[in-house]
Amino acid sequence: MTHNTVKASDYAFTLLRYLTLFGLLGTILIPLAFVISVSFRPPEEFFTSGVYLIPKNPSLEAWEQALRFLVEPLKNSLLIASGTTIVSMLIAVPGAYVFGRKEFPGKDIIYYALFVSLLFPHILLIAPITDIWFEIKLYNTVIGMWLALQVFVIPFMIYILRDYFEKLPQNLEEAAQIYGCTEFTAFVRVVLPIAMPAVVAVAFLAFLIGWNEFLFANMLTSGQGPRPAIVELFLLTQGTSGNVYWGRLMAITLVLGTPPTVLYLFARSYLGQAFNIT
Amino acid sequence: MPPKAAQETDKQSKSSPSTHVLIEDMRKTFDDGSIVACQDINLSINEDEFVVFVGPSGCGKTTTLRCIAGLEIPDSGHVEIQGREVTHLKPKDRDVAFVFQDITLFPHMTVRQNIQFGLDMKTSLSGSEKEEKVREVAQMLGIEELLDRQPSALSGGQQQRVSLGRAMVMDPSAFLLDEPFSALDANLRDRMRIEVKKLQQKLNKSMIFVTHDQEEAMTLGDKIVVMNDGRIQQIGSPYEIYNEPANHFVAQFIGSPSTNLMPCTLEAGRDGISISSGFFELELPPDLADQINGYEGRVDLGVRPEHLELGEDGIFEADIQVVEPHGSRDAVYLTAGDRELVAVVDAGVIPQDRDTIQVDMDIDKIWLFKESGERLL
Ligand SMILES: Nc1ncnc2c1ncn2[C@@H]1O[C@H](COP(=O)(O)OP(=O)(O)OP(=O)(O)O)[C@@H](O)[C@H]1O
Ligand SMILES: [Mg+2]
Repeated sequence: MTHNTVKASDYAFTLLRYLTLFGLLGTILIPLAFVISVSFRPPEEFFTSGVYLIPKNPSLEAWEQALRFLVEPLKNSLLIASGTTIVSMLIAVPGAYVFGRKEFPGKDIIYYALFVSLLFPHILLIAPITDIWFEIKLYNTVIGMWLALQVFVIPFMIYILRDYFEKLPQNLEEAAQIYGCTEFTAFVRVVLPIAMPAVVAVAFLAFLIGWNEFLFANMLTSGQGPRPAIVELFLLTQGTSGNVYWGRLMAITLVLGTPPTVLYLFARSYLGQAFNIT
Repeated sequence: MPPKAAQETDKQSKSSPSTHVLIEDMRKTFDDGSIVACQDINLSINEDEFVVFVGPSGCGKTTTLRCIAGLEIPDSGHVEIQGREVTHLKPKDRDVAFVFQDITLFPHMTVRQNIQFGLDMKTSLSGSEKEEKVREVAQMLGIEELLDRQPSALSGGQQQRVSLGRAMVMDPSAFLLDEPFSALDANLRDRMRIEVKKLQQKLNKSMIFVTHDQEEAMTLGDKIVVMNDGRIQQIGSPYEIYNEPANHFVAQFIGSPSTNLMPCTLEAGRDGISISSGFFELELPPDLADQINGYEGRVDLGVRPEHLELGEDGIFEADIQVVEPHGSRDAVYLTAGDRELVAVVDAGVIPQDRDTIQVDMDIDKIWLFKESGERLL
């Protein structure tokens, strides 16, 4: 009797598990499938009635237009994202190391100040930063974007990396120092290689933020400057003139998602290691 | 040797030619001086000497060792290694090797790379010369077949062996070992201890070994440095430390079971000096009485468990609480007055059903300590 009920609930549980899985998968894959489908349709097909996945008259027109449109914005995005990553790494990796493993006066206060800054919406900073950037001629420059994004990229990276550094074995650098390292070479030769998975992981996240960040990019660049693709994409949806060309929009979305996806595939094994260190 | 260092050696009257490591008046505090980790540390260590620092947890052993290694800079005093003033030098410039209490192999390197690390950083040897050295050391430690493994694939004992190898390959002028085997199980610890002792004899290098286990200290050291409360209590051979403790602390800390200590009063009477506790009285013979220079008042009488004689006559009677077998000997736990005492006798001489016994002690085998802890007799 009890034996049977256990079995029934077992089946129910398995069923529920698969339903949840497929449900989740569906919510991600079905829209994506439609995005892909729409990007291959000619404009006449956007608003035809009836739901179908395979375009009736497949066309590459949307893709051609998207790519032509994206050349400049993609270059800007790439510049902004990779520059943001490099600048933030140069500051956040040593910074997190110092927070994680060295003692200095005021350490806790500074750390919590950094952490609290993550809790406030960044929109708070938009007005002052735009003002100052105008003043010091950083408005509408790539460098201006690199620096502005650090405001929240660096605290975020330090937050993640500090823990990682803190958990490394106690006397690691000291052992390195005994056997010939200075404090600096101990960091470079021993600590950094061990922390590589976490460093790659945060670099990936920094790139992702630099690539997708909209708010600052929208405020700090204009059509004459290094406006990144994400802003251009947004402006297209605003459809200033007549109908929105949905096919092109979908194609642009897909192109925009590609670099982070490729990077993710490269960084994947590091990401896995970074978030379950023993 | 650079001429400057040579001059400094000449000025040092305290360091004899064989002195290898010299520490003078060293003091180290933490937290702006509120924690005194060690003070008044004076110590000289000869080349090829095996020195053991022993003392209870928190007494400053690690701190002293770290000051020698350069991992801490002392507040005052100085450290010399091979006649060279090193007090403020970086660890890498001191030519010492350190084996840490916790395992600190570099997890991203193989065993071979770990052992070779110091050679890579500090020397300009060719690849094949380094390889040869690593192989030699690995052979001595019996870890040749582990060379290409990652540290995470080794047992705790093997990891500490690799740590030793990483130290040995540098051929340092001193080895500093901070409780290297405390994380290992008792059996393995005993084996590693013997191995380290043999290694030290083979390498003929000075070695400082830190432990909080007095038995480990007694079996290993040529010279034992007993520490407590940040200060050196006594320096001596295992024999001296055991038989001639400098003070109350050393008498109590060294030896197992622990020395019996009984509060007594020292009084000058009509016919000499007598020691009285609540339950016995002893007369000091004239030669011993001379040694105490007329000291009177409260003292602690100390006597090792093996110097309490149990039998039919004695100076006081004690109740037998427990007889605890220790192989060829028995530890007999006694109470007399309100004191607990322990005696060690040959196994089986005390019948199990006996309740009371007479206790005697040889006056030549007792120690007297002043209230300050200093040894009086
Ligand atoms: N970095 C530090 N900051 C503050 N106090 C410290 C520091 N290092 C050591 N101490 C203190 O100095 C004293 C001596 O410590 P030390 O580590 O030298 O003791 P130990 O004899 O090695 O003890 P154990 O047997 O537990 O290892 C202790 O009271 C300890 O709390
Ligand atoms: Mg210690």
